[in-house]
Parts: sequence; structure tokens; C-alpha cells
Amino acid sequence: MKTKIPKAALVAALVAGICPVTVFAAEVRHDFWPGRDKVIPHVSGDEQFSNTYRYWKDEMSLDAAVTAGLMSHEMNYKDFRWREKSLEGEMLLGEGQELFNTANEQGQSCASCHGADGKELEGTYARMPKYNERLKRVVVGPTQIRICAEERLGRKDWGEDTRPNTLLAFYLASLSDGEIIDVDVNAPGPVKDSYERGRDLFFKRVGHFHFACASCHTPPSSGNYLRGQRPTTFFGDAAQYPIYHFPYQLAGDNLSYIFTMQHQIRSCQQLSRMYQGREGSAPMTDIETFLRASANGYPISVPVSEYNMNTDYLERSQQVSSQ
Amino acid sequence: MRVTIHETRGWIRSARVLALLLAVASGSTTWAEETGKTEWVPGEPYPTALLDRYPCHDYELPCGNMAPPIVQQVEFSGELTGDSALGEKIATNLRWGNCLSCHKLPGHPEGGTIGPSLADYSTRSLPLSYTYQRIWDVRVFNPNAHMPVYGPNRILTPEDIGHVMAYLYVPHAENRIAAKQD
Ligand code: HEC
Ligand code: HEC
Ligand code: HEC
Repeated sequence: MKTKIPKAALVAALVAGICPVTVFAAEVRHDFWPGRDKVIPHVSGDEQFSNTYRYWKDEMSLDAAVTAGLMSHEMNYKDFRWREKSLEGEMLLGEGQELFNTANEQGQSCASCHGADGKELEGTYARMPKYNERLKRVVVGPTQIRICAEERLGRKDWGEDTRPNTLLAFYLASLSDGEIIDVDVNAPGPVKDSYERGRDLFFKRVGHFHFACASCHTPPSSGNYLRGQRPTTFFGDAAQYPIYHFPYQLAGDNLSYIFTMQHQIRSCQQLSRMYQGREGSAPMTDIETFLRASANGYPISVPVSEYNMNTDYLERSQQVSSQ
Repeated sequence: MRVTIHETRGWIRSARVLALLLAVASGSTTWAEETGKTEWVPGEPYPTALLDRYPCHDYELPCGNMAPPIVQQVEFSGELTGDSALGEKIATNLRWGNCLSCHKLPGHPEGGTIGPSLADYSTRSLPLSYTYQRIWDVRVFNPNAHMPVYGPNRILTPEDIGHVMAYLYVPHAENRIAAKQD
């Protein structure tokens, strides 16, 4: 059913100030979530956000905080996964390793150039994303893997969002387990530019809900409960990616429940009704550069799983939600 | 609970028409242009093909440069009408209003803690216009409040919000008891 409202009546209503909807002046724009100016490319930057860094900056601090009875949300949910390795994840590493050593029809494999089992790639994941001189662009781990597979082994179907790529990324990251993340975004150049663009994207408000990534991943929302989920600040988490994410996956996934950082970003875009980027594309790469550099100074811990929390944690979270 | 809606209906219609007119006048995209796409059915997953209607992270698509939705100030006139049972459904459905993910709601203590508890909202005698504006476009009160812009981005219709408000304003016995015990 439709009713026509005479235009003159609307104008009159506007003038009289009794109309139901008025629109604010155009210059009132809220494109960005607050906090961009406080960001630094180091895990200790969390001090400016959640002020919990002291509880989880290393294993000793974490032990002390847990012993002192701190609850998970008081530690910004940083306590629940990175110390314990995941057994299920561990089993999948073998598949990645096998892919790495498997020869194509010409008898070439990743190992032909990077050493058996990837010996020569130990530690490299701690410095991804990197500027690739030849391609003249910054690449994340999965993009470098796709390029090597495509150009050097003739494997056209090992794109960023495929099972072989994901298993390889998982395996390669595990070769940097314990390595301190060090993505250099201080020296002027393409990686720094990528970091800054990624930071701006992370704080930009987008999508159906008009949220930024930062809306959930900065306080006061981080450290609170989002219907049982626990969003945390963006510092340090990249150190655990790729991650074993059982039982969650996106529709159509065949990735053995492994989430690369690219996949996690897309998963969050989906969760919050944002336009989903193509994995490995320029904006998605920039967001990852931002997240990886926000873990600078933190040790890589792979393989761990998203939900390997102990029962102790569950009990504590029960108390919180019943408050 | 059902109440007559006459006044509200007329008001809802004029609100919608005016918002549309203003959106056209200010040059922002209107959904009417894109009739080819399958529209979202509340309660169903949001079709990803529609997501380039809103600002996005891309560098090449028009949505990468799209202006944020204009802040809309609304007023509630008339009586509170609506179906509180439907309101509860809208408020708790993950793929509709999903207020529960951030708020505790009447009869739903399991809600999230990102926003304040609304479990005893009916006891607080807050003005209808305040609540309506809060839900329609929270940026009028707090530009950085972490709550979806339900009105401007058409997550909820004026009628939907009317139902949710009916649900929030109904006194809930169990909440009154809980409030006394606090
Ligand atoms: C024919 C030799 C060759 C093969 C085969 C090859 N790569 Fe590479 N790889 C390179 C070269 C050369 C580079 C340097 C960057 C570039 O030019 O792309 C590189 C770079 C890399 C890097 C980044 C290293 C760093 O220090 O930043 C990774 C990771 C990698 N390759 C993984 C793989 C994987 C996984 C495979 C198998 C799918 C593979 N490569 C197959 C030659 C090869
Ligand atoms: C609506 C809230 C919300 C938004 C918006 C959001 N996320 Fe998330 N994010 C979450 C939740 C919830 C988790 C999972 C936490 C858990 O384990 O329950 C998560 C997890 C993550 C993780 C894994 C590390 C962690 O904190 O567990 C990364 C990285 C991440 N998000 C990045 C992003 C990026 C990038 C964006 C923007 C594209 C984004 N998020 C937007 C809620 C959100
Ligand atoms: C993503 C989280 C989120 C969702 C979803 C959400 N809200 Fe909120 N809401 C908030 C936050 C945060 C505040 C506090 C805002 C502030 O500090 O100004 C709030 C405030 C409010 C208030 C004002 C409360 C008061 O005490 O004055 C009302 C009413 C409200 N929300 C209703 C709703 C309704 C109804 C829905 C569902 C249709 C909803 N909210 C969905 C986060 C959310």
C-alpha cells in the first residue's frame, strides 16, 4: 500500500522541525574508528590500547598472571592459545611437508630450490610479508607460494585460497616456530607504505553494519563478550597464524580447518558483513602487513589451535558471563 | 501485545519517503537502482553480492571510495505499538537484529557484554524518541558507539524497530524480581 505525501508538506515539515528524519550536515563524517594515531608497529603497542601487555608479553609473565588468578578477559584473551601446541595441527604439518617435497612431472619440487624439507626457508615466515623485487609488489606468504608454484613448477591451481597452498603456508610458518617476528615497516619503502595503508583499512568503517575491524578489535569491545566469542586487540595474534581452527570453516572450504591470516581476515569480513576481498589482493595484503607488523617482537607459535583452551579457562569464563 | 498503529503507520511512511528523498538529493546510492540483485531476507544469511553497496576495503571498486552513510536524526511520535513477541525474535535472531550478541535482553541473560544490559530496560522510563534514535542511528548520541547503524543501512525497518521497542518496554516479571534482588 502506497500513500503519496505532497512535496510541499514535506518541506513545511522540515522547516517546522517536526519531521521524523533530518540529516546532519555533510561535514559530519565518521569514516574511521578512533585510535589510528596511537598505533605502533610492535606488539608492545598494546599498552596504548588494552593495557594488558604486561600479563602476556612472555611466557613468564603469563604464568605469573594465571597464578595470580587473573581472568581471561582481564588478559585481553591473550592467554588461551599460544603456549600450547596443537596435536591435530601437528598432524597436518606432515601433509604440507610432503607437498613441499613432491616433484612435478619435470622432477622439480619446492625442495629443488629451497632445500629438502625447506631447510633454507627456516625463519623466513617471521619476515613476511616482503617486497618482491621482481614483481614490484609486497607479497604475503601464500602469494609467494602461489607465484613459486605457478611460475617455477607449472602448478596453476595452488592459489592463495587452496588446500595445497594453505598446507604449505602452515608448514613453512612452523619452520619459523619460536622466531621473533620482524617485519620492517620503519624504513621508508613499499612495506612501510603497505603497513600504513593496511592500518587505515583496519580502522576504516565499512559494510552493512558500518563497523571497522577496529570496532571489535580495540577496547572497550575487545576484552568483552560478543555472544560467547572473545575479540581481542590486534597485537600479537599474527604470531599464531596460520592456525588450526577446528571446527570452524567458511562455506566451501577444503582447507583442513587451517586458517591463514588472509583467510582469517576474510572470515571476519564475512562475520561483520563487509565486502570480502580476494585473498592475496593488494588491500588484503596491506591488512596482513599491518597485522604482522603489529606482532613485531613476539615469537611465532605454530602449530597452535584457535580453541585449545583448558577447562580452567571455561570455568573462569562462566563466572564472567553470569555477572 | 498489540496496540493500534494508525498514527505510527502514517509516521513510518513519511519517514521512509523522506529518508529516500534525502538520500537521492544527497547523491548517495539508492537500492532502487539495483533491482537485479536478490535482496536480503532478514533471518537468512546476507547475500555477499550486495556488500559492495556499502563502503569497503577495496582499492578499485567504487565502494572503496564511497562516503559513509549520512547520520540521520529521527524522532518518534505517536504511540508505541508493535508485537513484542516478534520484537524478541528480531532482537535475538543472529541474522536479523542480533541485539543479543552485545546486550543482555529481557529474559535473555546469556547476551553479550559489549553494550549495557537492556534486561530491565522497561523499568528505566526512557523516552521513546531516545530509544528510537539509539536504535536507528546511534551516531547522533555517540559517533563512536560500537553498534550497527540499523536505520541508515536498512538492517531494520521502522516497523522492525517498533516491534523491538515493544519488547524492550514490556515489563518482564522475572526482571523486576531480579532488579529487587540486586
Ligand atoms: C626454480 C626455483 C624455485 C622453486 C621450484 C620454488 N621457489 Fe620459492 N623462491 C625462488 C626464488 C628465486 C625466490 C625469491 C623470490 C622470487 O623471485 O619470487 C623464492 C622465494 C620463496 C619464498 C620467500 C623466501 C624469502 O626469503 O622471502 C618462499 C616462502 C618460497 N619461495 C616458497 C616456495 C614454495 C612453497 C615452493 C614450492 C611450491 C617454491 N618456493 C618453489 C625459487 C624457487
Ligand atoms: C563484529 C566484530 C568483529 C569485526 C568487525 C572484526 N572481527 Fe576479527 N574477530 C572477531 C572475533 C569474535 C574473533 C574470534 C575470537 C574468538 O576466538 O572467539 C576475531 C578474530 C580475529 C583474528 C584472529 C585473532 C584473534 O583475535 O582471535 C584476526 C587477526 C582478526 N579477527 C582480524 C580482523 C580484521 C582484519 C577485521 C576487519 C576486516 C576484523 N577482524 C573484523 C570479531 C570481529
Ligand atoms: C555490536 C554491538 C551492539 C549491537 C549488535 C547492538 N548494540 Fe545497542 N549498544 C551497544 C553499545 C556499545 C551501546 C552503548 C553506546 C554508548 O556508549 O553510547 C549500546 C547502547 C544501546 C542502547 C542505549 C542503552 C542505554 O542504557 O541508554 C539501546 C537502547 C540499545 N543499545 C539497543 C539496541 C538494540 C535494540 C539492538 C538490536 C536491534 C542493539 N542495541 C544492538 C552495542 C550494540
